[in-house]
Amino acid sequence: MSPARTLDVSALPPYEISNRAPLWWGQLLMAVIEGSLFCVLIAMYFYYRISVDVWPPPGVKPLGLTLPTVALIPLILSAGGSYAATEGAKRDDRRLMLAGLTANILLAIVFLVLRFIEWRTFNFTWASDIHGSIVWSILFLHTFDVIADLLMTAILIGIVADGRHGPKQRLGVHVDSVLWYFLVLIWLPFYVVVYWGPRLVGSR
Amino acid sequence: MTHPLVTPAGPPRVWDEQQDREALARTWHDPEGFLGWFYATTHQAIGKRYILTAFLFLLAGGVEALLMRIQLARPENHFLGPDRYNQIFTMHGTTMMFLFAVPVMEGMAVYLVPLMLGTRNVAFPRLNAFGYWMYVMGGIFLYANAATGAMPDAGWFAYTPLSGPQYSFGKGVDAWAQMITFTEISALCVAVEIAVTTFRLRAPGMSLNRIPLYCWSMLIQSFMVIFAMPAVMVASTVMLLNDRTIGTHFVNPAEGGDPILYQHVFWFFGHPEVYIIFLPALGFISAIVEANTKREVFGYPALVLSQVATGFIAFGLWVHHMFATGLPQIGEAYFTAASMMIAVTTGIQIFCWLATLWSGKVRMTAAMHFVFGFLFIFVMGGLTGVMLASIPLDLQSHDTYFVVAHFHYVLIGGALFPLFGAFHHWFPKITGRMIGERLGKLSFWLLFIGFNTTFFPMHILGLNGMTRRIYTYPASLGWASGNMIATVGAMIIALGGVVFIVNAIASLRSSVSAAPNPWNAPSLEWSVESPPPDWGFTYQPVVSSRSPLWADPALRTVVTGMRNDRREIMVTGVAEAEPQFRTVLPAASLWPFLAALGISIGFTGSIFAFSWYYVGAFLGALGMIGWFWPRPPKEIEP
Repeated sequence: MSPARTLDVSALPPYEISNRAPLWWGQLLMAVIEGSLFCVLIAMYFYYRISVDVWPPPGVKPLGLTLPTVALIPLILSAGGSYAATEGAKRDDRRLMLAGLTANILLAIVFLVLRFIEWRTFNFTWASDIHGSIVWSILFLHTFDVIADLLMTAILIGIVADGRHGPKQRLGVHVDSVLWYFLVLIWLPFYVVVYWGPRLVGSR
Repeated sequence: MTHPLVTPAGPPRVWDEQQDREALARTWHDPEGFLGWFYATTHQAIGKRYILTAFLFLLAGGVEALLMRIQLARPENHFLGPDRYNQIFTMHGTTMMFLFAVPVMEGMAVYLVPLMLGTRNVAFPRLNAFGYWMYVMGGIFLYANAATGAMPDAGWFAYTPLSGPQYSFGKGVDAWAQMITFTEISALCVAVEIAVTTFRLRAPGMSLNRIPLYCWSMLIQSFMVIFAMPAVMVASTVMLLNDRTIGTHFVNPAEGGDPILYQHVFWFFGHPEVYIIFLPALGFISAIVEANTKREVFGYPALVLSQVATGFIAFGLWVHHMFATGLPQIGEAYFTAASMMIAVTTGIQIFCWLATLWSGKVRMTAAMHFVFGFLFIFVMGGLTGVMLASIPLDLQSHDTYFVVAHFHYVLIGGALFPLFGAFHHWFPKITGRMIGERLGKLSFWLLFIGFNTTFFPMHILGLNGMTRRIYTYPASLGWASGNMIATVGAMIIALGGVVFIVNAIASLRSSVSAAPNPWNAPSLEWSVESPPPDWGFTYQPVVSSRSPLWADPALRTVVTGMRNDRREIMVTGVAEAEPQFRTVLPAASLWPFLAALGISIGFTGSIFAFSWYYVGAFLGALGMIGWFWPRPPKEIEP
């Protein structure tokens, strides 16, 4: 009953750190899930926007542009750190992985600090009015995801620093960048909507 | 197809199958004992748990339905009070949609898809276990709240403003809203696994045009889950729960919020949800029909493409649930057209199955009885669906029993009957025991007659003006006889359910063990023994046709050269499924359970105070660090 024809795969590589890995695909789909969630939030923002004449509502100080715009610089640069880390992961270069991940995390922390400083200038909360509710929801969910990803990055630094970086862990470094690129990229439309939106789609 | 890597038929290779099986058993077996139960990550174990848990919730939802039918049997009945009735119909809808229908379809997929694709597990086994635990904890969370008095009572969709902070007091609606998050996380986990498993882990040679139709329907369903489920989390958690607990204004018109937007976001999920439940059922139908007509399903490309089209159109239908909300008519007309279009894609599939049945040699197993039940009931539900797509008719029958009849015809006919068919069809594979055909057919007839007796009169009751969600009615309206007939029908359904359960238990205990392929079916899950071993395939098959088990046995090819001392699987190309590289799945672990428990603690607290989210995030992060932390040597070595 034993089949005579066989397909011997012992010569195939036992792993691959690339965009062909199942984990990379899984991470991509996780980003798509968050992306759909964020798209719903953007749609909601405009739904609320077009149903009123004055936006933001009277009494709400318009959001400043300087701090969030400056904060884009460390955020976008941090993606470079991610990229360096994935190159290090592919070449099994421990130092490059550590340098890239550290640059990623430090620049992202600068971004978060600027964001927290900016939040202190807001004169509204999520409970003030609908503008506050939707803006805070967007900011909160994005910040929450950023912190979650930074935690993941910190754990990866620990794993690599501890010398536990086998192929599976290096693949982890590689796919960590997928989520980080996503969080950087998705922030750009959010930034335009939340900060430029009230200016571009002006009060009627 | 000849594969560049296939050794041509020459002298047979020699290997020791028994030795390989022993090695694989050591590698793939989940830990034993009570604690070991929480470690399990094989897809068969997790899939069976999903199915069993979902059936328990079906039982709960069924009992709730019976309570409603008893209340409505006679006019001016006082079996349930108005408040209790609201709670019961809310629990019925919520249980059936979120705790039964979606999870049972996910569970079947978790069990079947890896075996049908010829691989050893899903792509992310620990995520799979995590998803199951989230689902169980969500179910416990809802029912524990209900048992302590916090029973939601605003319907399975919890429309605002009724469900909002001004009109719904207590924690019932909060529990409803957060239960959604639990079950959606679970569904999303499965969707990602199934999609990646289908794209990357198929047996060598199983190119896209050779994927079993059931796996196609699950792939499409997974993408629908990925795009639809985030919307309901926004509706239930961001909008409703935050309005109720931290004072946001998403549904509060006084501060610029809008209750209609809640409906939009909810139905943007809610309509695809119906197809999320229904597409896997179509996959069951294809598999059962194929095995029992002894021919390949007619029109494979047409079936796949119309299911893909269904997946797309499903996202453009949601407003037909909102025709009565006074939206602009131009927009509504578009949704009428889209709703009627879905009849085309569904019709194509029905005709493909009819053509298969017509030209095949039909064997009337119990499973096939359910297929014919599906065809009859579902087509009727589809016809009332086309009627309801028309705005004038919908406005007249909106919120009446006509709609109740329609969606029970579609959901029970379109999903439950195929599911029961699938249960009878794959029971031998999953349990290793043959299912009792005679009792299976008896349960079919009871369910079929009971179903039509219950729900057909509801069409007439609805057209006579009986509205949904009323707890009683005066005798003078003339609805008494229709309701009494419906209640008698519900009792017949219950009897059918009892026969179904008795049959399942008796068959489990019987000594008639199942052969690997009792139905002579063509797909790969039937090539391994019943029940399959933890590792699925001792030697992964190489596929060269759409129905591999009907191919010439002399041409069968298997994969060798995989390591047996760790959970190795093979990754193949997306389009042609050519072997690319091997990869290692993680071993069994307690951490997914602990992570789910930590997050559940946070979610449970979050209906009382927002800060509990941080507790959940912290505990969940701890769990996930434990989950990911590499343990030498096996998790680190190349």
